[in-house]
Amino acid sequence: MGFLSPNNLVYGLSLALLVLIYLRSRSRPTIEVSSLMLFDEAPAPVANVRHVRLDPLFWLEMAVLAALTLAVAGLYIRTVPTPGPGRIHALVFDLGAGMSAREGSESRLDQARRDALEIINQAVPGDEFSISGYALEAQVLHPQSANLDDLRKAIASLAPMAVPARTAALRAALMRARGASVIDLFADRTPPAGILADVSSVAKVNFHLVGSSAANLAIVSLDSGIPGSSKGRVVIRNFAFHPHPCDLVIELGSTEVFRQTLMLAPREQMVVPFGPLLAGGTLHARILTADAIEADNSRYAYAPSGSPARMLVLSPDASVRDDVARVLLAVDSNFQIETAAPANYHPAPIAANTQAPPKPYELVVMHDSDPLLGVAAASTLLIYPPQARAGQRSPYGISVTGTVPGAALHDQLLDVSSGAQAMMLDATRIIALPDWIEPIASASTIGHPAFPVAAIGRSAAGRIGLIAFDIRNHLLLAPDHLDALVVTVDLVKQLTAPNNVQIVPTGAYLTVPALKSARVTQPDGSVREVQADQWGRARIRPMDAGRYEIESGSLKTEVLANYYDATESDLGARRDAVSSSSEPASVTANASPAREVRPLLLWLVAMALLALLIETALLVRHANRWGMRHV
Amino acid sequence: MLETRAFEPEFLSKLDRLVLGIKRARTVRAGQRALGRIQGLGIEPENFKEYAPGDDLRFLDWNAFARLDDLMIRTYRAERQVEITSLVDASASMGLPERDDKLGLALAIGAALAYIGMADNDAVRIGAFAMRRGAMKLETTPLHRRRESYLNFKPFVMSVRAGGETRLGAAIDQLLLQRRPAGIVVLISDFLISEGDTEDAIRRLVAARHDVKVVHVMGEQESTASYPPGLYRVRDAETGEVRETIFGPQTAAAGQRKVEQLAGRVREICKSHAVTYAQAFGANNFETFMEREMPLFGMVR
Repeated sequence: MGFLSPNNLVYGLSLALLVLIYLRSRSRPTIEVSSLMLFDEAPAPVANVRHVRLDPLFWLEMAVLAALTLAVAGLYIRTVPTPGPGRIHALVFDLGAGMSAREGSESRLDQARRDALEIINQAVPGDEFSISGYALEAQVLHPQSANLDDLRKAIASLAPMAVPARTAALRAALMRARGASVIDLFADRTPPAGILADVSSVAKVNFHLVGSSAANLAIVSLDSGIPGSSKGRVVIRNFAFHPHPCDLVIELGSTEVFRQTLMLAPREQMVVPFGPLLAGGTLHARILTADAIEADNSRYAYAPSGSPARMLVLSPDASVRDDVARVLLAVDSNFQIETAAPANYHPAPIAANTQAPPKPYELVVMHDSDPLLGVAAASTLLIYPPQARAGQRSPYGISVTGTVPGAALHDQLLDVSSGAQAMMLDATRIIALPDWIEPIASASTIGHPAFPVAAIGRSAAGRIGLIAFDIRNHLLLAPDHLDALVVTVDLVKQLTAPNNVQIVPTGAYLTVPALKSARVTQPDGSVREVQADQWGRARIRPMDAGRYEIESGSLKTEVLANYYDATESDLGARRDAVSSSSEPASVTANASPAREVRPLLLWLVAMALLALLIETALLVRHANRWGMRHV
Repeated sequence: MLETRAFEPEFLSKLDRLVLGIKRARTVRAGQRALGRIQGLGIEPENFKEYAPGDDLRFLDWNAFARLDDLMIRTYRAERQVEITSLVDASASMGLPERDDKLGLALAIGAALAYIGMADNDAVRIGAFAMRRGAMKLETTPLHRRRESYLNFKPFVMSVRAGGETRLGAAIDQLLLQRRPAGIVVLISDFLISEGDTEDAIRRLVAARHDVKVVHVMGEQESTASYPPGLYRVRDAETGEVRETIFGPQTAAAGQRKVEQLAGRVREICKSHAVTYAQAFGANNFETFMEREMPLFGMVR
């Protein structure tokens, strides 16, 4: 026996209110009589015991209020389930990276899988099941079906992804499962109380908490440094509550450049310097020590080559040119940066005595200036592009439709439900993107719920990056506008990275150049085909950490997916330590369906109605007896 | 409202056969009540008596003197209409308990007795008294003699409302100040006043040679003390005095005893002054009271 919504027991205060009303009404009702000659003064002892007199009406009202309070609080009992055809079960699985944590010989997902199979095995004829999973998004993995063999296969094919499980995705998965009479949720951490409480009103929810506290190491970040110039850094974190050894290896290409065995204190985050590297290339850091989650033991970074690359920064604002140049140098100090105001910029003429044309720019950054289409550049970054004048054609198909004085920046990878604070931007362009440009960050303001403020795409002219907000007033260097700097640096890195290598976080959408179709070799060695779109791109979304190889004709692209999420990787924290108040409304600790929760709502309401009827009958009888004209 | 019953033809038809129990004296004797008779006046011979010095010679029966040679005086009876006053207590106590409709019962009895009184073409009126704004207010209707004019009482009867203190003595004072000839006064009240006040009022009416008839009205709930059980604060409707009491079976029995004691005291007072006393307890018993109990009490015949 328990309560589905124990907080609603606060309605029990109505009982106290009823007692107060009763005592007040019982205190001394005054009635007018023809003469006091007919009445004696009440003896004092009789007056003192008036409060404890039994009054059926009062106790009936107490019973009504108590029954309604218990009904609102969701009083339930656990009973043996009554088998019967037509029961619909929804099996909802957490497929986040935490479910891949291994404990002994099996992973947490294996435990969940086993529990789910046990439920299916105990199904009575007529029972139907559906299978859903959630991580970044919710998805139905198997529609509602009574074919138990297909369901078992679907459960066996479940695989964890190297992405965090979002609360919004869990909410969406439970919303989709609302049609079921029983929802079995398998997860490795307790969801917020409100989510289960919402669903428990329409379906019985059994929460199966799988796994236990486990030690885990993770590579938080990897910075290659600048080859031949500055040291690189790798940040390692120990999520265990005990010291943990860590064998760390860093490879540049196939060459090992660093190896060290470290001892991390409990819950320690350690910065490990290495290098400087002697050459650029793909850097791969790995933790060789066995721990719970494999996906966060590997991380890729790109070390820029030591060869200088030409950069051009155009802006009518000198301070912006200076800020952008600083940012570019921070990304790679080997960059050779030229800055100019757009009006004063003239491409250097080819000298008569030199036969070779000047080396094209690696990146041209244009802030609040019309694109110079005559400049040869591998990549272009448009920052706060101006609106096209009447009759002028929008460059790259990017059209500016308006300007707002301010907007709130939202990182697309942020979980909105995590309560992350949005950063406020200054003047921002509202831009209509062509289909071949992918937004990577959005903003919102009054009248514009969501519009892109950062995007990247690949066209025949090269890679095009776009930042819609203005970076004047040292926005990129302001410490409280770090998100703007992060977006800018991320774009610059993507725009200056080699064409055939992309390093992305897991779960991010990316496009790679492709012909008609592309052959994607995934980290586990499996191969799948992806069709290219009309712009010659193949769109993929790496959900596992590791190396992806995309081949399309002669085009070969390497995609390196990194995974790290501080919450998901933290397997050492107490998973139910949110607070006692956030305890889910209905939690079944194991998968055994021996007893089920049966709310007593109908019984309690029926009792309340019965008590009200009896009270009404008593009142009517009372009124008739004493000649009152109303009750 | 029970008083409307007193004007319904169906009910009035039951009263047609009743007459008011008036003791009309056959002779006039000093010191004794005799209503409606004045010696020597009238046309109906009553008796003969021997002449005594001082008798009016106009009434000498000369034929008898011629035959018998004795001086005989012929006496006549002159019947005169009797004034009947139904005096209803309209104090606040008559309005409570509301469900008892005690005032309605009193007004209905008063009106019914007036109707009965009209049977002999006696002059009849209905009055109501109670204290209003610190002064006794005694209101009476004009005298009506014939039953055809009975309905003239209806507006007055319907307009009477309970309120104010009883002050029976003050009401009798006002009635006597009207200096009407002695007649019948039917006093209808709950007599929830002191014993002395009741006796004083009746004694003064009797002293004024009125034929007094007392109808003691009480409500059913009041007379049985059947109130919802519990602890209550009761307030006197007339004095405003408050008292805490408890209602229950025991207090109901005690209340009934008090009502019986009150009725007994009023009955004793009436008996001591040779006044007719009748009890009308409970509005539900109105018709039974009028048709059966009033004759038993000698109030009607």
